[in-house]
Amino acid sequence: MARTITYREAINEALAQEMERDESVIIMGEDNAGGEGSPGEMDAWGGVLGVTKGLYHKFPGRVLDTPISESAFIGAAIGAATAGMRPVAELMFVDFMGVCFDQIYNQAAKFRYMFGGKAVTPVVIRTMYGAGLRAAAQHSQCLYPLFTHVPGLKVVLPATPYDAKGLMTQAIRDNDPVIFFEHKALYDLAGPVPEESYALPFGEANVVREGGDVTIVALGRMVHTSLEAAEQLAAAGVECEVVDLRTTSPLDEDTVLESVENTGRLVVVDEAHPRCSMATDISALVARKAFGALRAPVEMVTAPHTPVPFSNTLEDIYIPDAQRVANAVKTVAEWTR
Amino acid sequence: MGDAIVGVVANPLSGRDIRRLVTQASVFPTAEKANMIQRMLTALAAVGVHRVLLGTDLGGISAAVFRAIERRQGAGGRWPEVEFLDGQPIRQTAQDTVDAVRRMVTAGAQVIVCLGGDGTARVTASAAGDVPMLALSTGTNNTFPAVREATIAGLAAGLVATGTVPADGVTARAKLLEARVGDRAETALIDVAVSTERHVGSRAVWDPATLTQLFCAFAEPDAIGLSSILGQLSPVARHEPHGVTARISPGAARSVLAPIAPGLVVPVGVSEIERMRPGSVYPIDARAGVIAVDGERELTFEPGQRPTVRLRADGPRCLDVPAVLAASARLGLLRRTRDGPRGRSPSSSED
Amino acid sequence: MTDTVERKALTREQLLSAYRMMRAIREFEERVHAEFATGEIPGFVHLYAGEEASAVGVCSNLDGRDTIASTHRGHGHCIAKGVDVSEMMAEIYGRQTGSCHGKGGSMHIADLSKGMLGANGIVGGGPPLICGTALAAKLKGTGGVSVAFFGDGASNQGTTLESMNLASVWNLPAIFVAENNGYAETTSSTWSVASDNIADRAAGFGMPGVIVDGFDFFAVHEAASEAIARARAGGGPTLLEMKFTRYFGHFEGDQQTYRAGEVEHARAELDCLTRFAARVTETGELTRSDLDAADAEVAATIDRAVDEAKAAPLPTEADLLTDVYVRY
Repeated sequence: MARTITYREAINEALAQEMERDESVIIMGEDNAGGEGSPGEMDAWGGVLGVTKGLYHKFPGRVLDTPISESAFIGAAIGAATAGMRPVAELMFVDFMGVCFDQIYNQAAKFRYMFGGKAVTPVVIRTMYGAGLRAAAQHSQCLYPLFTHVPGLKVVLPATPYDAKGLMTQAIRDNDPVIFFEHKALYDLAGPVPEESYALPFGEANVVREGGDVTIVALGRMVHTSLEAAEQLAAAGVECEVVDLRTTSPLDEDTVLESVENTGRLVVVDEAHPRCSMATDISALVARKAFGALRAPVEMVTAPHTPVPFSNTLEDIYIPDAQRVANAVKTVAEWTR
Repeated sequence: MGDAIVGVVANPLSGRDIRRLVTQASVFPTAEKANMIQRMLTALAAVGVHRVLLGTDLGGISAAVFRAIERRQGAGGRWPEVEFLDGQPIRQTAQDTVDAVRRMVTAGAQVIVCLGGDGTARVTASAAGDVPMLALSTGTNNTFPAVREATIAGLAAGLVATGTVPADGVTARAKLLEARVGDRAETALIDVAVSTERHVGSRAVWDPATLTQLFCAFAEPDAIGLSSILGQLSPVARHEPHGVTARISPGAARSVLAPIAPGLVVPVGVSEIERMRPGSVYPIDARAGVIAVDGERELTFEPGQRPTVRLRADGPRCLDVPAVLAASARLGLLRRTRDGPRGRSPSSSED
Repeated sequence: MTDTVERKALTREQLLSAYRMMRAIREFEERVHAEFATGEIPGFVHLYAGEEASAVGVCSNLDGRDTIASTHRGHGHCIAKGVDVSEMMAEIYGRQTGSCHGKGGSMHIADLSKGMLGANGIVGGGPPLICGTALAAKLKGTGGVSVAFFGDGASNQGTTLESMNLASVWNLPAIFVAENNGYAETTSSTWSVASDNIADRAAGFGMPGVIVDGFDFFAVHEAASEAIARARAGGGPTLLEMKFTRYFGHFEGDQQTYRAGEVEHARAELDCLTRFAARVTETGELTRSDLDAADAEVAATIDRAVDEAKAAPLPTEADLLTDVYVRY
């Protein structure tokens, strides 16, 4: 039975249900409960934006707050994973990856390969990404292309509450290191979510809107932006197919290619910076494998090649909006040699 | 009288052995040892010592003093000229202390100050010859060295080194224990303990279950360390000519609660307590094991080697700091007027 | 003799095993040194010769519940934790029969089934991981401990410092073993470590810090046994600093112009194997012929390992793409 809950609640529910089901699931991160050593309440926050609230009391001893030592506790989560635990560690803002990236890309990602198949590292690293909260340059980045680039990691970006719960469940059950990207502007988004536990497979994109004229490939928050643009364009007689990638590694190439074979026109909407991004990755994929089907060059709608600005007006320009997506769709729809 | 020279040697490794782990023995930072030396330098300069010989180490103490000298630029009072005794390999063993002290003796130092625990004092004593020594506590067991503010120690060392206070009245010879295994010998200032452990290992003695015999040059009731075992049962003061020895065994009829190391108060079974006469040779009964001197395992012995212990009266000359400063008060040695020092003659009757 | 003494005194078998293991590490490293010079071994190797007492003194106190993490200079820790010597040699030669099927090489030899979380190419990469395995042991109640071996170079790396803090704050059964061989590549540890003694940092992280003569097996064994007992009993982490020197360069090929005679001095006066042999024959715990037999056994094992490695197949193109994921 589905009822309407928020993206935040959906993730919390997935964590709770998996922790209930499997004793080896533990949570760690800065203020994942909150109040450690302080005179007031424990579970003061449940995470800076409340995603892990309530779990501290529900699962005593399995929600661990940490000092601000990402290298140490992300590394500890990874080490514990090799020793039979299923840790869900929080890298509070993906912008902080710089202080612990080695443990992620040189250790966790490479154990299985370097050790000749003899290691299993079932760690989940949850992290917040994305602009829109005026959090400025060091708290608003996307950076998922950097993780997607690394063999050995899996990268997951749910766009809806339904996907968030299903993909988190899969992430915990998955036996490889998973980086789970949560868009901070989506936490309050509500949507239908089944009460029971379910897992969505990785590497399966979701066609969230069907249409025969133009393919829009999007991920994360940009899926909603793309749907907004698609509504506008439908009124003008252009029917867009919106493909939500869901996971960038593994990547569902087939769904993307199938859609482009059908429409011949592609717009990729990616909130990350334009160089070496998902936008360029998908563009190259289509150029190589669906070249014959293309009837227009690929259009990319991305953030600019700048850090995220602070001021309201600037940040609103920075983030791709429905209008820019619609303009890009019109460009490919009207393109002729 | 020639230039007053004071030698200073500090043990960088004191206070970092296994007793930090098996009990809560004190953690004495290198920075504090370096600070103590600097406080002493100020005090030595204040009473007219212009030359100090400082042992060098790889533990950061002499480096910190060197940096302080470089950066000082005369602020806060003059310091003596410090000569760093380098130019020979640093082995990071007790030999470094021995080498440094010997160089100080050869160079004519009138007083040698050592910073460390019982072990450092013991090693310094073995090389100091007749030069009076002053042991400042920075180690684990501080039975022999005094827990004393370095500034005061500096004043006392300086007053004696310059001859302002004659050494004879304020120094006393300590007793010494000599443990011998064939042609190997070690001296101890406080105690010699026999352990059935086979190997020197981490050196420190912290487990009384392995002890079989104890010899003490002196045993004070308020001491820390192995001598406390006999310090409670049969105290012997430092100035008394004799020592004391006993058998140690867990099954003995009589036992005593003894603080054998900081944070470690344990029952120790004691029997056959006997006075040690100076000069007499006492046999060690255990078949094989390790002899610990002043709480550190040093001499291993095997069956048939027949180790012995002897109490000697010719230990190091030790500076009595309170006595030096009491003399200085009596003689007005630290009094000053606008015109310079006064009160040099004992007959001064003003103020 | 009381129980305490009996528990602590090493048996003949334990002493022989310790000797054999230290000898195996020494011969392995000397052999790799010789073979590397012929050009047959690919990549980089970093040799542990001289430091055997640390790996063996610590690991001889561990059992199947326990995990260790090592450094780029990891052969010694691997052998001390029971990783198969032939598989190790094959891995160093990049063969398919190697511990990691030729996919890891010298710097990444691991055997999780033996609690060996791997040599590590990243300085300071091990301590955070060991906080994790210690956490797992604590949560599962296995009584296991985790040991992070790291060098004087890594002692300055943020990951190491953070890990010591975390291990204290979480009260983990972890032991941090700083192997201070005097150099991080060419840079002297007396220069790079601001507190000069790595052990002095322990107080800043709420744990005891002990300096140990890294050339003395018995000193290492005793200190490690106390630290491990403390960790198992829930007493928290300890920092042990081994002081010694490495006999070879940072890597094979290092001309070592930054050194000044300490290796010759150490080999002649301080060598852990020489001292161990002298001690145990003096006490009669082992005989010279026991030691000679062990030497011969080890020599044969190493010879066999090299011969097998040289004859073993290289990985194939198909091996390139396997084991990136459990399931993609």
